[in-house]
Amino acid sequence: MRLFLSVLAALALGIGAAQAQTIRILMETVPDTRYIQELLPQFEEETGIDVEIEAISYIDMHSKLVPQLIAPEGSYDLIVVDFYWVGEFTKAGWLMPLDDLVERDGVDVDVYVPKLMDLVGRVEGVLYMLPFYNYSMALIYRQDLIDDADEQAAFQDAYGMELRVPQTWDEYWKQVEFFTRDTDGDGNRDFYGTVIQGQRGDCISMQWANYLYSQGGLYHDENWNPLLDSPEAIRAMEYYREAVENYSPAGSEAYCFDEAFNVMAQGRAYSFVTFNILYAGFEDPESSEVAGKVGITPNPGGGLNGGWGWAIPNSSPNKEAAWTFMKWAESAAVAKERAMLGGAPTQAGIFTDADVVAARPYYPILGEILAGTKDFPVFTYTTEFVEQVGLELNLAATGEKPVAEAMASAQERLHALLVKDGKIEE
Amino acid sequence: MSVATADGLTLAGRDRRFGLLLTAPGLLSLLIVITFPLFFTLFTSVHDYTLLTPNYDTFVGLENYEEALDEEYLPGSLWVTTKFVLASIVIEFIIGFAVALSLHATRRFGSIYYLILLAPLLINPVVVGLLWRMLLHSELGIINYAIGLVGISPVSWLGDADIAFWTVVLTDIWHQVSFMAILLVAGLAALPREPYEAARMDGASTISCFIHITLPLMRPVIAVAILLRMIFAIKTFDIVFIMTKGGPGTATDLISYYIYRAAFFGLDIGRASAMAAGLLVIIVALTAYLYRYMNSLK
Repeated sequence: MRLFLSVLAALALGIGAAQAQTIRILMETVPDTRYIQELLPQFEEETGIDVEIEAISYIDMHSKLVPQLIAPEGSYDLIVVDFYWVGEFTKAGWLMPLDDLVERDGVDVDVYVPKLMDLVGRVEGVLYMLPFYNYSMALIYRQDLIDDADEQAAFQDAYGMELRVPQTWDEYWKQVEFFTRDTDGDGNRDFYGTVIQGQRGDCISMQWANYLYSQGGLYHDENWNPLLDSPEAIRAMEYYREAVENYSPAGSEAYCFDEAFNVMAQGRAYSFVTFNILYAGFEDPESSEVAGKVGITPNPGGGLNGGWGWAIPNSSPNKEAAWTFMKWAESAAVAKERAMLGGAPTQAGIFTDADVVAARPYYPILGEILAGTKDFPVFTYTTEFVEQVGLELNLAATGEKPVAEAMASAQERLHALLVKDGKIEE
Repeated sequence: MSVATADGLTLAGRDRRFGLLLTAPGLLSLLIVITFPLFFTLFTSVHDYTLLTPNYDTFVGLENYEEALDEEYLPGSLWVTTKFVLASIVIEFIIGFAVALSLHATRRFGSIYYLILLAPLLINPVVVGLLWRMLLHSELGIINYAIGLVGISPVSWLGDADIAFWTVVLTDIWHQVSFMAILLVAGLAALPREPYEAARMDGASTISCFIHITLPLMRPVIAVAILLRMIFAIKTFDIVFIMTKGGPGTATDLISYYIYRAAFFGLDIGRASAMAAGLLVIIVALTAYLYRYMNSLK
């Protein structure tokens, strides 16, 4: 009898589950995805909608998404879109415009930082995404070394200036040189002024962008004329090459951000220009030997703006439920809870929210970092551009190609892709 | 003597027909599974098929092939692939043969050696790549630490163009050498004993036994082992994708990763298909050559 009852109960549950709605989301294995997963039970309880999050690594995402987006009915109800893909996905017509839904439900989209709305929100006036989290790039450095009285005195002696959180690139570069050392006297440097994430492709493209902005350079002017062979761009590459040769671990021209992170987290480097979302990892004693000793500040001259947006693909089988989820995840309360857990906010008010700041005092700085960022070229062929320019940058960083020659090639490649996209004339 | 049956076929003929009948479904599905993607690739390669406009509306003839041949970094990638295939096969063959000979001579604990030998082969190539990337980290990796203990200064395993190429080759060898060894050991086990006994009677040394008996008798097996490894090596993708992204510079830019980029970063499936078709021609030509060489040995 008991067996019979439990079978009956199981059947009833099974039917119940079959009736409940389920949405599937493809996401990247990053901290912000984890925070969403932690808060999911709230949503499932409130709405009765089951959520299946498929979290995979970045390298697999694009090739996994595209077939689903091309299909008339894909397997994902909701997706997250890296700013790289925005041009491509909207040009191909894969994303559903959200303007009508926003108007219907009275969702306030003015809460978002305008820079992110431009990057992973609106495209040519149409709202395709709600900004999910930002990975703008910043300068992470060792605050304890800057505060050290002996270091201050030595720096003053050597450069005739005060050792402080760097405000200008020139000041930062002197610090990079100053802190690069051979601490055990074996003739090899073993403490580094900075860590390069120079691996060909995405890794070097992202980090080098900060070097470009630091020199006042840009990828293109307001009419999309490419500027990668400008004196600023060449100077930026010369700095980068200098870092590879003199101030960063040998072999860092093959690092991506994870390998570079570990060098800094093991206490082997003074600074690291990278994604702001890695900062939480440096502050966590589980993953870092330097917890409590690091600071974060805007890259002198401006860092790279980056972010992800939520979007409903046109191939989504259940658009309404996906929208319900998106509204929940981006509601003021949930957005704040995510920030309290360590998430990277996109809504302007959260950076300075009293509770958030009490839990995480550095959040106002993250707001400043975001405000000072500059955009990467977002067009249909951004992904290919990242690969192509990433190769030229890497060739210059490793010294296989002279800097000016590599930048001339990068310029040519950007030009060709912009022509292909119809942004500029031949 | 053949026995005619009611339908006028010999018994052997009926057997053959029955056999054909049994294998037909399998053969047919194999034919479809193999030829469909092949023709689909060729069909795509003559159209302007991109992920942005995934349709076959624009026939472009050989334009995709011409575009591919014009690319600045394609010849370099082909050259790197050639070097990679040659280096990994030659070294794997030498190590694999040495291991096979010693395994063949082993009398005890054979299965334990097999287990150890096969372990790398059972690991997913992506994991192999991640594993070695960690071990070879120039600052924090255990390998540079270990060689540091004996006074060797740290090596930039993946950061230096010349070294990185060999790092990738050696990783591939670590991963795949047992495949070669297993094939060769199977070949050795199947060799007849009589020639060796006769040679011993005549007072031949171990080395001359190897050169005059083992090598000639093993030639068909060696040819198969090299052929299979060559085909696999040309298609190597995961290791460079995980470990180097083709870098530093173009030092490890294998052709399969090159084609992948054209398809998934360049979004140009037509051009990628053209390159894949070209690669197929090369592989088929090499295979045909080796196959004929093998047959000539019989």
